[in-house]
Amino acid sequence: MRAVFTFSLMTLRMLFRRRTLWGILMVILLALAGIASVPSFDVSNQGRFILDFGLFGIEVGALILALGLAANLFPRDRETRTLMPLVAVPLSRWQYLLGRFFGAALVQAAALLVTCLGLMLILLIHKLPIPGDLLPATLLIIVEGWFLLSTVFFFSFFTSPPLNWPLTTMLFIVSQMSVAEFAGLMPSTPGLMRTVRMLLPHADVFHIKDPIAHGFEIEPVYFLIAIFYGLCYSAFMLSLALAVFRGRDLK
Amino acid sequence: MRRFILFISLVLLAFVGCRTDYDIADVAPAEFLESGEHHHDEHTDGETGDEHSIDEHVEASHVGHSHAASTRNRGTQWFFNQPWAAPFIWGKLFRDAVIFLALAIAIFFITGRRRKR
Repeated sequence: MRAVFTFSLMTLRMLFRRRTLWGILMVILLALAGIASVPSFDVSNQGRFILDFGLFGIEVGALILALGLAANLFPRDRETRTLMPLVAVPLSRWQYLLGRFFGAALVQAAALLVTCLGLMLILLIHKLPIPGDLLPATLLIIVEGWFLLSTVFFFSFFTSPPLNWPLTTMLFIVSQMSVAEFAGLMPSTPGLMRTVRMLLPHADVFHIKDPIAHGFEIEPVYFLIAIFYGLCYSAFMLSLALAVFRGRDLK
Repeated sequence: MRRFILFISLVLLAFVGCRTDYDIADVAPAEFLESGEHHHDEHTDGETGDEHSIDEHVEASHVGHSHAASTRNRGTQWFFNQPWAAPFIWGKLFRDAVIFLALAIAIFFITGRRRKR
């Protein structure tokens, strides 16, 4: 595991040096500021609006961060021919994958925490209360972001980055749909559609912006279960990515 | 051994695919759905003494949909058909997480063995 740790630190430093990260972070923070500047027209509970749309903005930010950080990693390593020497001697393929994943996951988590702090600052500027569950809600979005990151890695091993973006985005949208909604996309084969949907992740598990915006308390055990679910599904996606990666001829 | 792991993986996949349903409106027990349905509570107007339902009162007065924070309100069943509000699916969530973890471990070892050969 020491090799994975060292390689993930190298990935982390490399990603922090890239301008992509800072560009995406700026866009998310600007979007949050834009949401907060929408006038309330004297409608009460503007705080709910800012919280609801702010957390939605952070969630979309997690998707963009996952794509911006990871879609290019494997293709670039292959193109610059740094991949072959890496997997030939110091690292096995699973160590390469985990190292890249953990490095990107840490960077993504740090960026999402910054956006959460940005949302808190916006609430403070508007003299609105900061709900206690805002940080746990961001933690759930971080876990969802890690799932998206593992999906990006999975697609990156057999598609080009321009194709990775729409595929991951499509999976992100589909994972928000209920089983009935998904089966309704192709009504002629409801059984198949239901089975496919059951295998896809249930992203609504990570969504607690509605209860937070409306002042509901969430039981702590739910956070633990949702985080465990997200981590296990990410591990599943990473194992699929590894299966594809191990089967690839890198010559 | 490899076939056995493959068989177990397929069984686990089928288990997830056939048994789990997260559409809470479909799998919720009756008492859960009833708790969020429209309440036609009778109450008495203090000044006139007239009895009428809350629905009529709201429609008549056009006061909107205001209610105290963290209390259930009428017509908001969709709001409670989300995983955080449905403890009866938390067990399923946990079970599925364990299954996906088991699948991940199985895939890791199966693909590793293939590579060694």
